[in-house]
Amino acid sequence: MTRADRILLVFVVCILPFLYARTWSPDEQARYVQIQAGDAEPIAAELSPDRILQVHGPLGDSVIEIKESQVRFLESPCTGQQCVHSGWLSAAGELAACLPNRISIQLLGQHPLFDAINF
Amino acid sequence: MPLTSEKMQVQTTPEDHRIAWLTALAISIHLLESAFPSPLPGFKPGLANVITIVVLMQFGWRTAVWVSLLRVLCGSLLLGTFLSPGFILSLSGAACSLAMLWLGSKLPGQGFGPVGYSVLAALAHMTGQFTIAWLLFIPHPAVWRLFPILLTAALLFGCVSGIIARAMCQHRLPCQT
Amino acid sequence: MNSRMLNSSTLITELSNSHGNTRDYTEKSLLRHLLFRVFLCASVAKIFVFIRLKQYLKPVGSGTNPLRKPPPLPAHLFIILLLSLAASACSQDHDDAFHDQFFAFGTLIDLTLYGVDPATARQASERIEQDFQDMHNSWHAWQASDLTRINEQLATRKTATADDSILSMIAEADRLSLQSNGLFNPVIGELIALWGFHDNPLPIGTLPDKDTLNRLVAQRPSADDITIEGNRISTRNPAVRYDLGAFAKGYAIDRAVERLRELGIGNAIVNAGGDLRAIGRHGDRPWRIGIRHPRQPGILASVEIEGDTSVFTSGDYERFFEVDGIRYHHIIDPRSGYPADRTASVTVIHGNAATADAAATALFVAGPDEWSSVASRMGIKYVMLIDTDGIIHMNPAMQARIRFEPETNAVIRLSEPLP
Repeated sequence: MTRADRILLVFVVCILPFLYARTWSPDEQARYVQIQAGDAEPIAAELSPDRILQVHGPLGDSVIEIKESQVRFLESPCTGQQCVHSGWLSAAGELAACLPNRISIQLLGQHPLFDAINF
Repeated sequence: MPLTSEKMQVQTTPEDHRIAWLTALAISIHLLESAFPSPLPGFKPGLANVITIVVLMQFGWRTAVWVSLLRVLCGSLLLGTFLSPGFILSLSGAACSLAMLWLGSKLPGQGFGPVGYSVLAALAHMTGQFTIAWLLFIPHPAVWRLFPILLTAALLFGCVSGIIARAMCQHRLPCQT
Repeated sequence: MNSRMLNSSTLITELSNSHGNTRDYTEKSLLRHLLFRVFLCASVAKIFVFIRLKQYLKPVGSGTNPLRKPPPLPAHLFIILLLSLAASACSQDHDDAFHDQFFAFGTLIDLTLYGVDPATARQASERIEQDFQDMHNSWHAWQASDLTRINEQLATRKTATADDSILSMIAEADRLSLQSNGLFNPVIGELIALWGFHDNPLPIGTLPDKDTLNRLVAQRPSADDITIEGNRISTRNPAVRYDLGAFAKGYAIDRAVERLRELGIGNAIVNAGGDLRAIGRHGDRPWRIGIRHPRQPGILASVEIEGDTSVFTSGDYERFFEVDGIRYHHIIDPRSGYPADRTASVTVIHGNAATADAAATALFVAGPDEWSSVASRMGIKYVMLIDTDGIIHMNPAMQARIRFEPETNAVIRLSEPLP
């Protein structure tokens, strides 16, 4: 065991706890859904009124459902239907995409547009 | 010029023989390993890396590249997984570990021993495989939770491979660092 | 170019990025990426320099033994690469503003703190939560509290004593009531109880008894009837009963903000069930507040605030019940005894939260015809009132300040400038 070996092992053993902490920390609360269609700028949508959105892509319209702060692909014109099979996204960071139709939806934590909502 | 029926011989150097022998050894280990089940496609204990490390230490980095890439290619052809997701993962893992080994060999002074190289290669291999898997196959953020676990496994198996490599080194030609 | 939503048969929201800025949420990780890139560039630059230098520094008399170890790169290059790896692994990826939510004061309190380390932020949040609990227990209008005791004493003996904290709140409420010409009335507790907007809701489908209602209205409890001397409250009208529902939340938010300032926090939002007061700003930009539409889902408009500003909205959708298709909500017009029925919502922007709270109620009751005069009396500078026909009334200063979402196509009626 050379000195470099020892240093490497120590380094790796020190890094590992950080990685665990970072990937196993509790889920951040989802606050909005970001929808990206093709090359357009991503669009942010609030989670709160339950509703259904249609997003236009090269293959046709994908239908996205927002309900109880969760979001999913309801329908999509692709053949694989993997986006629909992804099911409900509920935690911040979760992502589903219809690659053939070039549409992706992702739940994100921090609201990009507003710091607070007044009502 | 008289046409003599000379036997056409492919000129092989001793190095070619060496590489072929070592690659064959690596492929056999690879095949044996593929018999074991694994949590995700393409993630294996990586004992074939032992050969890569021994080659690196005895014959240099370029030889190690040959052996490693040939092992991945031939192994996948033999197993019928050529160009499959498992193959892509193996290849990316091998590429990352080779790159990391090259960097590691640049360390001044005594540098790494077989254990160090083995750990380095194992971690780089796992990181490369995981990243490609995440980018191409399962872009789900929850998958990242597996990463530290796999890295820990890579660390352990890397140490084991390193110890085996060191033992192998001592019984054959002396290892140059 | 961002509106990609079609179709009119399902409930749509046209998603257009009117504020043009979704990149904000990546600004936090930008620093991390920047750091990593700097390290990487430095490393690459060093490799480049080293290779160039090598040309001039060929070693003397060396053979070409193929197994000889090639010249090493500088050690610190290696360390830099390792460190940059570590830096990207270790850096925190969380949001730069601290958020916490808890239930207090009968509503959800949302706390946003900016520029505070997580430990201090958590402590502050716990402190604020405790403060809210204490205030809630002390000022509750119908459960046993200091306020109910005061009400009992006023009803039976026309006089009561109170300690300083509650006294100053009552005094402030009275002052605002007079300023609003009684449209904000903190002493109509009997009327509010009659409508069931307390713990005892009316049986479904019933309205309060007309005679009782008229009797209570005729008693005309008013802040005018109250005199405060020292720590003694006295009234000449035993019908007064304090219900500070329309005011206590604002007052509590003011206390919470004071507490935050005490703790050394200068950039925060205290949002109690949608009504909020913000201090400071969000780093290098003001706070952005979205205002919900009173009738439709989604955001109606937004406004930027900084410094020390409150945004309060009173709406007929907050607490209500319906009988025979007519909505009866909790903002009672003291003059008629019935819920004010010409307004859907009022949004007020003002410095102080207690005033904003009382003003929002008063202006709601004032309605589309009288709001302007009441606002000037109360010193409110920014008002937006949406009446039950969907027309948006506001003063020029508010119009300059507010930004409507693109799919809003309401009719806007501007008033004269408020003094």
